[in-house]
Amino acid sequence: MTALIEMRDIVKVYPNGVVANDRVNFSIERGEIHALVGENGAGKTTLMKILYGMEQPTSGQIFLDGKAQHFRSSHDAIAAGIGMVHQNFMLVPSFTVAENVVLGQEPTRRGFIEAKRATEITEQLAQQYGLRVEADAIVDSINVGMRQRVEILKTLYRGAQILILDEPTAVLTPQETQELFNAVHALVQQGKTVIFITHKLREVKEISDRVSVMRGGKMMGTLPTVEATREGLARMMVGRDVFLTVNKPPCKRGKRVMEVRDLSYITETGRTMLHKVSFNIYAGEILGIAGVEGNGQTELVEVLTGLRSAASGEARIGGKVVTNRTPREVRMASVAHIPEDRLTNGLALTASIDENLIVDRYFLPPYRKGLVIDYKQVESMGRELIKKFDIRTPTGKLPVNSLSGGNMQKVIVAREFSSSPELLIAAQPTRGIDVGATEFIRDQLVQKRTEGTAILLVSADLAEVMSLSDRIIVLYEGEITGVFPDASKVSEEEIGLYMLGLRRQTREEMEAYL
Amino acid sequence: MSTIRKILAIRAVREFLRIFLAVFAALVLGFLITLAVSKQPIEAYKAFLLGPVSRFNRFGDWIEESITLILLGLAVSLAFRAKQFSLGQDGQMLMGALVSGSIALFVPLPFLLRVPLALLAAMLVGFIWGYIPGYLKAHLDANEIVSTLMLNTIALKIYDYFLIFWIKPPGAGYNASDFFPVEGKLPTFLPALPFIADLQKRFADHTNITIMLYLMIIAIVVAFFLMFRTPFGYELRTVGANIKFARYGGIDTKKTIILVFAVSGIFAGLAGAHLAMGIHTKLIANITVGLGFEGIVVAIMARNNPLFVPIAGLAYGYLRAGADVMERASDVSREMVLVIQAIIILLVTAERILPMVQQVITARRQAAAGAAEMTEGENNVV
Ligand SMILES: Nc1ncnc2c1ncn2[C@@H]1O[C@H](COP(=O)(O)OP(=O)(O)O)[C@@H](O)[C@H]1O
Ligand SMILES: [Mg+2]
Repeated sequence: MTALIEMRDIVKVYPNGVVANDRVNFSIERGEIHALVGENGAGKTTLMKILYGMEQPTSGQIFLDGKAQHFRSSHDAIAAGIGMVHQNFMLVPSFTVAENVVLGQEPTRRGFIEAKRATEITEQLAQQYGLRVEADAIVDSINVGMRQRVEILKTLYRGAQILILDEPTAVLTPQETQELFNAVHALVQQGKTVIFITHKLREVKEISDRVSVMRGGKMMGTLPTVEATREGLARMMVGRDVFLTVNKPPCKRGKRVMEVRDLSYITETGRTMLHKVSFNIYAGEILGIAGVEGNGQTELVEVLTGLRSAASGEARIGGKVVTNRTPREVRMASVAHIPEDRLTNGLALTASIDENLIVDRYFLPPYRKGLVIDYKQVESMGRELIKKFDIRTPTGKLPVNSLSGGNMQKVIVAREFSSSPELLIAAQPTRGIDVGATEFIRDQLVQKRTEGTAILLVSADLAEVMSLSDRIIVLYEGEITGVFPDASKVSEEEIGLYMLGLRRQTREEMEAYL
Repeated sequence: MSTIRKILAIRAVREFLRIFLAVFAALVLGFLITLAVSKQPIEAYKAFLLGPVSRFNRFGDWIEESITLILLGLAVSLAFRAKQFSLGQDGQMLMGALVSGSIALFVPLPFLLRVPLALLAAMLVGFIWGYIPGYLKAHLDANEIVSTLMLNTIALKIYDYFLIFWIKPPGAGYNASDFFPVEGKLPTFLPALPFIADLQKRFADHTNITIMLYLMIIAIVVAFFLMFRTPFGYELRTVGANIKFARYGGIDTKKTIILVFAVSGIFAGLAGAHLAMGIHTKLIANITVGLGFEGIVVAIMARNNPLFVPIAGLAYGYLRAGADVMERASDVSREMVLVIQAIIILLVTAERILPMVQQVITARRQAAAGAAEMTEGENNVV
């Protein structure tokens, strides 16, 4: 039997000389969920863009049902039943969900768009595949998870039989991820075929029938998921053994670095997001904050870093108040911050890598010399950090948006770590990045902590909090509901009970450990 | 270092070609229109194309106007680079003209003190006239487009008030001051050296190209260094690239915004002094007429880069000067000249908008209109 899709000897050389795909062979069976994994920059997106007609291969062939195809644009691919949901969504924010779904192929009668039909179509499709959306909501007002479902509906509306999902879970919470998985199963049950790009090996095991691994533009192999182990896949992806579990020397707690007292935060609309939060952070420890997303973690981090103002209470470093100060003052008090949302806060995408690296130090010697910035110094610092933090780029002069997600995060990590802070606040430091970069960043965190830096870690990935932290506090509805002085002596299940608000410790119980 | 220079050189060449091609396309279109509206299209168009260099005084007009345009282009580039859409150059220019003109007329100082004082005062008042909308934006979140346009109107009223009630000599037939005394005029750009005496005299008699030419060159260099070499320039560009990142990184974004507006105003204020003390050598009503928003065209052509502003300013100044000559020397009516000019502006700036349009079309083709993307592109000005 011939495969549904057969890509043969695909070579793609970008105009800048990057060989993104190097004689790649890839085949897809009808009705399977095929996971495509690989580190950032491995060439997954490129390969899929070629299949989707968005990029033209330098050489190589594509067969659909055994017939050679030549897609000149994604138009042709869509006509052949191939649909792709991109990493970055392409919706019109001011349109409704239904308008976005039918955009470009609006149902019309006598030349007029039928808004009602659009809504009906959307609801019917949503129903059929279990993709929950509000057809009449404005896209601007819906969350990321729903936007993604809208994107999937859009491709289905265009008659896609083969769906390519490019890193769909990178932006999702665990609950949304589960919902997406259910929808993918529903799609396959109704005869669709799904190509699922990810670099989370847990997801590969959970959802796929077969898995293909790419590394450095080459296809390393395809195997049935049941035969794959996480360690084995990680080795194929990275090309060496990867330690998925964190090894860290015992914690040597030093002096108190930050003291947080009765900190409260109220939003502009009057919602209390943090209520009288008190705790200390010590040198040489990683203090993890566990909690279901949206329970005040974002606000806590932003209040502590000067991006939001506290309503009451304060945080001090060495006796100096750092709440309700400017971000610059907080940074000068030796606090570094890896922000949760790296694309909006952490980077200026169109600026160069070097310029992203100096935002916290351009005004200090040796970068500032008299009235000017010494760009020679900047350049050499950039070179050093690019090397030390293994940022994959030919030069620091390229804009950050030329980097892959993992490498963008490394730019942030390089900047924040190299300022030698006393306190490092790391929010979602490994979200949505590949195993290689994740391992690297976790290693760096542990190393910094062992060298005596105090680290406050916030992560939606409970497993990450559990494995990295020395001490854990749980945040539930803006309050601390539990503290666990030794992270290695508590189970995920137990923390889960606190995260869901089913259990809480009394003030007295917590007092000694905060 | 040499590689950077090479890249820069290539980039400069590319930018030059880009502007050149856009202008060329515009010229062809302009000719087609001239063909349609003129009985002697060849002569009319020749007047347009060669007008600015056909006579000494016309050459002067071109350069003088280009100096204004370049100073304004610098002002706009600085603001737009930071994504601050200040449209206040007209007001800043008016205030600059008023203040420098008043000093040129009334402050009894010798030339060597009076002229520098007038120039500094023009820059200072431009700074202040930029500081105001900057402050309103930074601290009160007032939309800068609205506030700068309002300040333009206020400046115009102040200018008219002082001109009519205080500066105009009593009994004068129309609203204008006396000519400035020689102590208050900008001298010709060529020094009175014996071996170029002839040339110097011709320039002095037929043109108003003054030492402002040198000040303009200094202004270009200053703007470039400010933008690309100083901490302030870094702050300005970073605020323009991503203001949230700037804030997160510790940049005082409010202060930066205010300073961007104010510093941009310095350049427009200087342009005002050029109008008063260089070109007209007196204060007249509507002294900035037709120039208020031309800095935007120049800045857009130059992609908000001070290094390319002089190319864009000279090219655009040439078109304007040529159109002027055509109007005077041929049967093409003023309206038609304006149409041709408008088309040229459209084409030249559309060349910046074209990629965006293309983006929309492809996005729509992929049934995925990228409106969200459009609002995020690096340089999507206007
Ligand atoms: N449009 C492009 N132009 C030049 N290089 C590109 C382009 N898109 C991707 N690349 C490069 O090709 C390589 C593969 O990228 P990509 O296919 O996006 O990888 P992945 O999706 O696996 O992260 C990377 O080195 C990337 O920098
Ligand atoms: Mg990718």
